[in-house]
Amino acid sequence: MASLVRSWIPLLILQSFLVAVAFGSKEAEQFSEALLLKPLPDRKVLAHFHFENRAPPSNSHGRHHHLFPKAISQLVQKFRVKEMELSFTQGRWNHEHWGGFDPLSSMNAKPVGVELWAVFDVPQSQVDTSWKNLTHALSGLFCASINFLESSTSYAAPTWGFGTNSDKLRYGSLPREAVCTENLTPWLKLLPCRDKDGISALMNRPSVYRGFYHSQRLHLSTVESGQEGLGSGIVLEQTLTVVLQPETTSVETNMQPSWSLSSLFGRKVVGSCVLAKSSNVYLQLEGRLGHESKNVDTEIEAHKLWKNADFDLSLKPDRVLRESSGLLFIFDIDKSSDSEPFDLGLNWKLPSKWSCQQAPLQASRFLMGSGNERGAIAILLKATESQEKLPGRELTDGRCTIKANIFQIFPWYIKVYYHTLQIFVDQQQKTDSEVLKKINVSPSTDKVSSGMLEMMLELPCEVKSAAISIEYDKGFLHIDEYPPDANQGFDIPSALISFPSHHASLDFQEELSKSPLLSSFKEKSLVRSYTEVLLVPLTTPDFSMPYNVITITCTIFALYFGSLLNVLRRRIGEEERFLKSQGKKTGGVKQLLLRLTAKIRGRPIEAPSSESPAAESSFLSTKLIFKIILIAGAAAAWQYFSTDK
Amino acid sequence: MEETSDRLNPTTDTSGITPEFDPKTMRSTKPGLKRLFITTSVLFSFLLGVPFLWKSVEIYRSPLPFHDIDSLSDQIESTPLRFPCNFHAVFVGFESTDPDNLRSQIQDGINQLTHQSTQCGSCNFSLSVTVQNPADQCSETLAHNPSTCSYRCGVITRNEFGVGLDDTVDESLNDVFSGCSENSGKTYSVVVVNKENANGEDEVLKAVVGKRRHAWVVGSGLEERYGDIVAGVSEIFVKVFMNGGRDEESIHGEFMPVGSDGKIVLSFSLLNSNPRDWVYDWDFQRIDDALLAPVTKALAPIANISVESQVLYHTPKSSFSAWDEKLQGYIFRTSDLPFFVNSNEWHLDTSAGASGRSKILQFVVYIPSGKECPLLLQLPNGEISKTNGFISPMWGGVIVWNPENCDKDSESPSRNTISPQELEQIVEIFLGQFRQLFGFKSEAIYTSGLGTYKILPSERGFTEWELDVLSRKHTCFNLHSCSTTLGSLSRLVRSLPRMIIKDEIGEQVKYSLKAAKLAQSNASLGGYSSSASSSREARSLAENVFFHPSIMSVSYFSYEHCFAVYSPFFLPVVAHIVLAVNREWKRYRQEKAKYLTWLTRKKTA
Repeated sequence: MASLVRSWIPLLILQSFLVAVAFGSKEAEQFSEALLLKPLPDRKVLAHFHFENRAPPSNSHGRHHHLFPKAISQLVQKFRVKEMELSFTQGRWNHEHWGGFDPLSSMNAKPVGVELWAVFDVPQSQVDTSWKNLTHALSGLFCASINFLESSTSYAAPTWGFGTNSDKLRYGSLPREAVCTENLTPWLKLLPCRDKDGISALMNRPSVYRGFYHSQRLHLSTVESGQEGLGSGIVLEQTLTVVLQPETTSVETNMQPSWSLSSLFGRKVVGSCVLAKSSNVYLQLEGRLGHESKNVDTEIEAHKLWKNADFDLSLKPDRVLRESSGLLFIFDIDKSSDSEPFDLGLNWKLPSKWSCQQAPLQASRFLMGSGNERGAIAILLKATESQEKLPGRELTDGRCTIKANIFQIFPWYIKVYYHTLQIFVDQQQKTDSEVLKKINVSPSTDKVSSGMLEMMLELPCEVKSAAISIEYDKGFLHIDEYPPDANQGFDIPSALISFPSHHASLDFQEELSKSPLLSSFKEKSLVRSYTEVLLVPLTTPDFSMPYNVITITCTIFALYFGSLLNVLRRRIGEEERFLKSQGKKTGGVKQLLLRLTAKIRGRPIEAPSSESPAAESSFLSTKLIFKIILIAGAAAAWQYFSTDK
Repeated sequence: MEETSDRLNPTTDTSGITPEFDPKTMRSTKPGLKRLFITTSVLFSFLLGVPFLWKSVEIYRSPLPFHDIDSLSDQIESTPLRFPCNFHAVFVGFESTDPDNLRSQIQDGINQLTHQSTQCGSCNFSLSVTVQNPADQCSETLAHNPSTCSYRCGVITRNEFGVGLDDTVDESLNDVFSGCSENSGKTYSVVVVNKENANGEDEVLKAVVGKRRHAWVVGSGLEERYGDIVAGVSEIFVKVFMNGGRDEESIHGEFMPVGSDGKIVLSFSLLNSNPRDWVYDWDFQRIDDALLAPVTKALAPIANISVESQVLYHTPKSSFSAWDEKLQGYIFRTSDLPFFVNSNEWHLDTSAGASGRSKILQFVVYIPSGKECPLLLQLPNGEISKTNGFISPMWGGVIVWNPENCDKDSESPSRNTISPQELEQIVEIFLGQFRQLFGFKSEAIYTSGLGTYKILPSERGFTEWELDVLSRKHTCFNLHSCSTTLGSLSRLVRSLPRMIIKDEIGEQVKYSLKAAKLAQSNASLGGYSSSASSSREARSLAENVFFHPSIMSVSYFSYEHCFAVYSPFFLPVVAHIVLAVNREWKRYRQEKAKYLTWLTRKKTA
């Protein structure tokens, strides 16, 4: 059906062309890619892909784009999104071994499943509508069931407990969402090079999903231009964080495994994405500065940093940065090509041990109680070793305190009794006024909205452990509201513990504002950690119950009706007379038996056969015919009703 | 159930009656009717309850006007919609021509041409003819319903007409016919000027169709070629003004790439098939403002058009091309075109901004990679396509744009911007493709057996008479689509007797029918824009109904379900009652027989 086209309009206005030139020098859309690699103390390797796409302030957002994904820009325009974050996570971040007090973990350690929050730039009354529409649009865009966040029972509007203070913020999470490659592919489609070129070419699906932790995140924020009549700019930040286990051949158990990019991912980088403004690979080594904290001035000493007695790198880093707790090697992958692929490797020579910086308190959450009626949720905060060293302590009334915010959403079928809130500090129950600085409770409404609990604890610095428990009753759902696998139980979304007076940032001595990854690390980010997802078993009904109930009630009604009818047409006098005449003839035992059978059968006692066999047989045959006709009629009726339409 | 009790029951009173009384076969009292009455009344009350039960399990179905739907589709099938058009032919410089005669001849010519095509959206024309003789005196034959505009005699002078640029002539003609009222259809005019044969040589006949609703034929010695002129004039009326110069074999007129909500999204994508070789960018914002805005504005009565653009990378085509030594390029043939669009790699995202029913037309500029540059489209006749592009109806168009220099000079990819001049050419091809998607020709010349007509192109992409044709076709298309949608709906509803139909569906069907009726009546009155808008409304309402969520999720409340719920109660109860009635009736007959035998016995005794 293709047909050839010839140019049609020979004369076109050129002068209006020249008018449009007066737009002035515009900033262009910018894209940059980066990969951060970090060996973890527990013999794993963290790979953090970071892509940033910036659209400058313009009025043509959602219409004309060069690098920035059109779909995202249209989303922002249509739903007036001011800031949004969507994350898909599989696995749980190990705060103890993988760190809890660095920007990487505070931004990328996400709860299992899908988490979405968004701030809108619409009047307060339209925020919920925008949220609902946004969830549907995102669910189409990312092939995920984000649209389940549409229902008002599944999202909440945190006021201060979440960290971002805005009354136009909505937060929701789906703990049960399975995250897999069908979510990664649309996410990759937003990158100009997709996974065809550049750093993203490393994302070999089997190796990415084989990891211990996998979190893909999309964060977008609008930047006000400040100019009158000019739209706002958009910054889209996409990160993928994976924790992988390098395959190791070494027999020594305390030796860190050596790895290279090709052994981790099964692929190599053969050049940067040509559209990226910068594309770098970073290697972060923590805890390496203790014994070599002198200035690196000479070439030899720089060389020592990446080839020394402990380890050596397969490639020479372009730069080395120092940070308070570690080293950062920077590699530029622009130089690599098909013939000379970039395959960074780290080879350990000596066993080495270090630990990650941890959040002041480590949070875990569990359920208490048994049975299908009630239970209790407990959140346990335990002091970590590094607590002493951390900054961010505050002195209130002469006491040293740590502040901790707890933000928790309860689904409506978990009916929480807020008066049962108990706080224990170092195994001693404390009154609310002692430790609770602020609390905000919005109770749930059955089938309408979920409950939310925000509270700010102020704990003494020397605290060893703190526990919060709250009791709840389990609600009953309507039969339509159960998910298909109701017996698996219901998930309570993760609680968020954040430390408002602690901020994580990596401060490199050198000024490096041009690298988006490092500048995002430099920004102070709130230290936060998510707890486990809880699985609450609810009473699940037998789903065939309605039919059983119908059948039993109907049968009882039918029995009642039938016996009533029998009573109505019973001839008592006749039966008694008949019995009397029978009683003369038969013996006691036999009559008793007859009576019994009569009772059971509900019909008068039969007299011993006194008729001729012929009559009997003819009667039997009419009876038989009647039965057959009845059954045939029923069958015909059934046939008629079941096949007719 | 056994019925032995009746038979074996000892009968009533046996004391002191006639000796021949046998208690086994006769009775002395009348059998009672009490129990029989009770059981039968219960049975009957059950039977009476059946209709009520039936009513209670009935599902709600809003009554749909099936008859009106059928009659609408019948009407649209049988009598194609026609719009009134006023044709006005002005003959200047003709000596001895009788306007009545001319009129009937042109009318015959038009009838002959329209005879075979009674398609929807054609004209219900009225023709008026004016003849102005060389002495500037006029004789007129007006149509039965004369339009208020009439040609003022002597405005067009024989020898000064047609001098200068065609555009200025077009404008002057517009001034001549400016006083026309548009309330009863549009007026199209053809001016035939017979020039004085001043310098003896035969001037070439020149026929031009303007940007507005006028055409003119200029020549000398036309009175001698009288028959040709008449045929030519009627051809201009029918083939150009009425049918828009479409080819019969081109895209079928029934298709209009307009979404059911009356929106079109033009999505322009620049595909860099391999950015490692070279990266091209464009400044589409400027093109949009300068070149596409007039087109979208011109088409505003037909569709609400929005324009988007994006640049995509790493998007190879999915067909193969082979090097041709003679043509010095990589060749892909028209037979490869179905495989050219690579739907796996070309993520020409459907716009999130467009709502679900908008029509998205994709226009793609494909920049080949270094391995396949230059990439040329070979036509079936062996020539190389001049535009290097193709369209796919209802989807959009593709243009292959080869960079100036196909040699990859350096290792690093070169970053370029397509120059405004080249971009302008690309947009010209786009506009041609866009016109083709609407069924128009992309050339500026209309050729028929009687000669060629030059068609003045409009910088807005579509001339006024073309927009008229589009608007007529669009109304037609909308009505047709509305009637087919409603027809399928009524068939669906009738085939599923247990489907719930909500009230709003019934209402929307009614509104849709109403809008369709309004569109038809407006069309017959000549209201182009009003009929287009109400036909659009009719179509969008019909689609709304058809894709209504309550229809999409047909609640399956079947007979089996009904049976399963009610049978546990009704089956045992009905069995009880029927058996009881049966037994009582039998017993009554038996007892009555006994009584009768006793009576006869008594009588005989």
